Amino acid sequence: MIKAIFEQLASSLTHLGEKQIVTLQLGSLQIQFDKAAMIMSWIVIGLLVLLALFLRRALLQDIEDKPNRVQAALDALIDLLQGQLTSSFSSERLGRQMFPFISTLFLFVLFSNWLGVVPGLSAPTQDLNITMGLALMVFVLSQVLAIRAKGMKKYWKGYLEPVPFLLPLNIIGELSRPLSHAFRLFGNILAGTILVTIVTAKFAPIVLPSVLNLIFGLFFGSIQAFVFAILAVAYINVAVES
Amino acid sequence: MLQEAQAVAGGISGADIALAAKYIAAGLCMGIGSIGPALAEGIAAAHALDGMARQPEMQGALMRTMVLGQAISESTGIYSLLIAIVLLFVV
Repeated sequence: MIKAIFEQLASSLTHLGEKQIVTLQLGSLQIQFDKAAMIMSWIVIGLLVLLALFLRRALLQDIEDKPNRVQAALDALIDLLQGQLTSSFSSERLGRQMFPFISTLFLFVLFSNWLGVVPGLSAPTQDLNITMGLALMVFVLSQVLAIRAKGMKKYWKGYLEPVPFLLPLNIIGELSRPLSHAFRLFGNILAGTILVTIVTAKFAPIVLPSVLNLIFGLFFGSIQAFVFAILAVAYINVAVES
Repeated sequence: MLQEAQAVAGGISGADIALAAKYIAAGLCMGIGSIGPALAEGIAAAHALDGMARQPEMQGALMRTMVLGQAISESTGIYSLLIAIVLLFVV
């Protein structure tokens, strides 16, 4: 039996990074996506929706009821997020306005990273398409907010500052933000997955993987989710301010 | 001696050399590429600790800024990691 487990682990190593591409034909439109990433992100979305429904039901009950454990934990989580994220925005109004979006982003990335710890499931954030989608969302939002805060004329003029000669550099600087934002999350999670898989398959399949999963999946996963959210906050701040 | 060396060299094809170069390049890429981020993160943590020791009440804000700065200085390391992964699995 142990030999079978070893063989399965070794085969998982050779399939590392392989993708099952599914192609959909909608009229003249062709859509390609990765099966695993798609299913895993839907699992995360379903999990989050279930949690939200649970919290809503608990809130609709009588106020005298003592909150149960899950509800108390979720309350504490939202409190923590509100304290950490709202205070990092440049103005309190912007913080209140953006908090739902940023906390949703954080929760999605957090649950995605944690999903990689469950055996048989993989973290959707180890697919570049998903992280790039999230980063592009933040990018478009920050551009729209910048235009709204400064007005069209001042926004385009911002690219010519401090001297018009720097226009290409400004454009590259603006475009490299979503790239580094996406690559950071993707690289961290993929590196953790590869490391855990290699150690499990090649060296120590019994005790060490659980420890490594704890470090890479849960600890680094939470830190990376927090970093992703804080960076989104920083990009929005920069777009609105300057 | 020379004949032996020639026989060994004759058994090495271009594909073998390319494979060896791939692994060496990936190793060098990670090894050299992670020096910078490691130093940068250490410096950031050291200065944040300095600040925390001086003003313990600022711990929350310092911690947040430190993590943000470390994440940004980490990106060069992540880029070299991506290049190493591309070298190993794609090229």
